Amino acid sequence: MTHHRDIGAGPPDEYVEAEIQRLLVEDPAVAEQGITVVRRERALVLYGEVESPHRREEILRRVSERFPDVPITSDIGVIRAQAPTEIEQLP
Amino acid sequence: MVIRIAAVGDVHLDEDVVGRFRPALEELPECADVLLLAGDLTRHGTEAEARCVAEEFGGLAVPVVTVLGNHDHQCDQVPQVVKVLEDAGITVLEGNGVVLDCAGGRLGIAGVKGFGGGFAGRCASDFGEPEMKAFVRTTTDSADRLGAALRSLDCDMLVALTHYSPVPDTLAGEPLEIYPFLGSYQLGQAIDSAPTALAVHGHAHAGTERGTTPGGVRVRNVAHPVIKQAYSVFHVGDQLDTDQVSPIGQSGSQRSWS
Ligand SMILES: [Fe+2]
Ligand SMILES: [Fe+2]
Repeated sequence: MTHHRDIGAGPPDEYVEAEIQRLLVEDPAVAEQGITVVRRERALVLYGEVESPHRREEILRRVSERFPDVPITSDIGVIRAQAPTEIEQLP
Repeated sequence: MVIRIAAVGDVHLDEDVVGRFRPALEELPECADVLLLAGDLTRHGTEAEARCVAEEFGGLAVPVVTVLGNHDHQCDQVPQVVKVLEDAGITVLEGNGVVLDCAGGRLGIAGVKGFGGGFAGRCASDFGEPEMKAFVRTTTDSADRLGAALRSLDCDMLVALTHYSPVPDTLAGEPLEIYPFLGSYQLGQAIDSAPTALAVHGHAHAGTERGTTPGGVRVRNVAHPVIKQAYSVFHVGDQLDTDQVSPIGQSGSQRSWS
């Protein structure tokens, strides 16, 4: 991952957003391509769906560790894995 | 003739997920003739993760057919991953096909991982730097192998299985800017080069379930985060009981551009 400059205590900017996006994919402890990083006025919000509660916690832990000064909110869900209740007919 | 196809992609298994799908998978013999896995079976494509896939999806009472996804390539252990899956009785397709005898007829499945490249009018071209040409040639080579595999199968019903998307329809919900990394129109062209009844793919976690190729073949994005259930079941055939038609159709296929 390229670090363009030191991330200080300033507001989240596009580079932070880009680096978080890449960290989510390239950090072996995360490896998620399906997480969206949305920049809000006061925080970055992470959206998406993962396969286990452990992965959701790990994402928040890794991102907070790497960007301790950036306020992060997570709204990540764990995908249900129940059998389907309906089928789709394709004539 | 009706063939019952269960499908899911992007299960991204590792130790922390083993067992989550199994209760639903045990119900498969009652509702499906085959289970298709649309790639991204693992998180990083390690042999250890492949063993998790073998444990979760092996030893089922229905045949399991898969393609690999980009995640399954991450650690460059593809031969080991394939071997673990095949030892568990899972058929791994890449540029080839398989024909299964089902109660409703012979089901032919051709599969490739596929690759990005983009869609008609907004795609990468085989031109310029070697890196760019290598990118596009990976796409066209993959699509060519899918088309050849589809046309080679002798069966009553033909299904295409890929990881990358053959159409933009099922990407609706993803940022437009990343469409060229999610699929390519050449896969759709390959699917349309044969009498394909259904095309199933994954990879687009934020996409949409339904679409069609320009040639009218139904396309379904079965990525787990999209279908939000253990698998989807499709009854494909010509003599359907209309009472059973599911009401899922409301969402329909969406085009993200006109
Ligand atoms: Fe995936
Ligand atoms: Fe993928």
